[in-house]
Amino acid sequence: MAEKGNTNKEHLGGVVRLREEHQKVVKDCESRIQHWKKVLADYEALDDRLRTLPDQLCYDIMVPFGPLAFMPGQLVHTNEVTVLLGDNWFAKCSTKQAQKIVEHRMKHVGNQLDDVTKTMKNFEARVGFAKDLESMSANTGNYVDIKEEAGNNDSPITKGKQRIAHKPNSKPKMDVVFDLKEEDEEDEGESRDTGSRKGIMTEEELWARLDELERLEELQDEQDRLSDNADMNGEDTSSSSSEEEKEADAAPPVNGSSLKPSWSSVPHSIQPLTDRKEEDYEEEDGSCLPTIFFSHTVEPKKVRINTGKNTTLKFSERKEQKEHSKRKKKNGHSNGHSHHELHKITTPADIYRLFVDVKNGEPIPRKSILKSRSRENSVCSDTSESSAADFEERRMTGRSFSHDEMTHSDTSDGITEEDSPTAMPLQTPSRFEVSTVVEKDPMPTAVPHLTIVPPALPTILERKQEEVAPDVPPPEQAPKREHICSAFTYYKQDD
Amino acid sequence: MAEAIQKKLKAEVEKYAQTQKDVSKSVSARQKLETQMAENNIVKEELDLLDSSNTVFKLIGPVLVKQDLDEAKATVAKRLEYINGEIQRYETLLKDYHKKSEQQREVLTSLQQDLQKAQGLTPGK
Repeated sequence: MAEKGNTNKEHLGGVVRLREEHQKVVKDCESRIQHWKKVLADYEALDDRLRTLPDQLCYDIMVPFGPLAFMPGQLVHTNEVTVLLGDNWFAKCSTKQAQKIVEHRMKHVGNQLDDVTKTMKNFEARVGFAKDLESMSANTGNYVDIKEEAGNNDSPITKGKQRIAHKPNSKPKMDVVFDLKEEDEEDEGESRDTGSRKGIMTEEELWARLDELERLEELQDEQDRLSDNADMNGEDTSSSSSEEEKEADAAPPVNGSSLKPSWSSVPHSIQPLTDRKEEDYEEEDGSCLPTIFFSHTVEPKKVRINTGKNTTLKFSERKEQKEHSKRKKKNGHSNGHSHHELHKITTPADIYRLFVDVKNGEPIPRKSILKSRSRENSVCSDTSESSAADFEERRMTGRSFSHDEMTHSDTSDGITEEDSPTAMPLQTPSRFEVSTVVEKDPMPTAVPHLTIVPPALPTILERKQEEVAPDVPPPEQAPKREHICSAFTYYKQDD
Repeated sequence: MAEAIQKKLKAEVEKYAQTQKDVSKSVSARQKLETQMAENNIVKEELDLLDSSNTVFKLIGPVLVKQDLDEAKATVAKRLEYINGEIQRYETLLKDYHKKSEQQREVLTSLQQDLQKAQGLTPGK
């Protein structure tokens, strides 16, 4: 502690001296500015004199005779002045020409003045900085150090495994297969053996990584389900939460640095944060500054969806595809469970499922979720579902190719945070929904844009496809993410 | 042993001080040249503002000598070139002095280390 105090004092001394030096420079600049301002004033007075001088042919003046005496005399040739150009050069000019020269000089002086003011400002800023540094190192003022621990290799989100540097003498992985066959041959030297051993290890690493990723996906799904349950007062929270805790324990480093949040782990991470923070504040005397340890956890993105009945849903991402298969068999399930699953959204298709009209006891999906129930009874707009269906179907065929091209060209980066995995066939019709709504009714687009989760809203056609290709396997999720988000961007451009 | 090192150190320190003086001299000379260059630039521009109706004089000692405007312009231009050349020369000189001072600094530090080692040994004895 004493050593730390000493280093602090030295550091402080250095900073103080830095500040003093900067202040010296600032003072110097100030004096230079004064000088240039005086020069400028002199030139202005000279300019005035030159203007008025040729008004008279001659002036009666008192001519100075040495330092102590004056004599009356006359000032003649009032238009002729000898100008000192610099470096012992003189020129005889008229007053007008002299004025031009004076103007030229004033410009030069102005430039010098600007330069000096700039330097002064620069150094003033540095002085301010040095002051702050001083107060920081002296622990005065309200400065808090915020530290974030970067989890390097803990992130499971990295696609593919990391590259492994080869040893200088070893051959690249290409030789691995070959080497396995030739394991008996020893005259190739040790380098190849190391290469083969490395090859095997990398395969193992690959498998381990795949397992880890699978585990993480399951973990995410469980957590999302749990979050939905928390929101909707669903059932089976206990089992899922217990599962989740098991997985959470298994993969604690995930939470620290993963971009995809985990609901139950958020309290875990918050707790260590608060604990550490308290510790830091207690230790303020010893350490340099109070430190806050910051770990990057992102809250699950919740989007409010207006289902048209003055109800809102919270949509959280990364649902599993089992949802779809379960829905198909929903008749066999209990009411509560299916209801819960209905509200569990994995794909854009799921959103659509929520907007259902109950007719004759069976929930019939609505064609367009942008149109609320209330408007169906209104006379003004054509909100009947049959016409909507025909209209959309006609459009789908026409628009399929153009939209495909749009999304392919539009694949944006950095999407991973807000996407939801969805099947490939879902993509194309979803965009049609957007376009149909836009053309039919310009008004609703403005309002729904604020409240509804953007584009990917499947139509009837898509639902049929959905049944046909039910369980899209998770590995396809990765490439689809890009398409979903490009649809997002497309929708926004449309507005 | 330590005394020898100390003597060496003193000699090196003197050399280093000399180099530093040379550096500062060349720096100040260069600054003077800079101001002269600025001044001659202004003179050149102002001569361009004048025409042949004005007589140009050069102050040589206490005498103002009449000069031709074109002659004056040419003279000023030549002087400018000369000043630029001088500045270049001084810059190269400055670089050399810098290098020398760096080398001498290294020598000094190594000598200091030797001295410390030697002094560390002698008290131990």
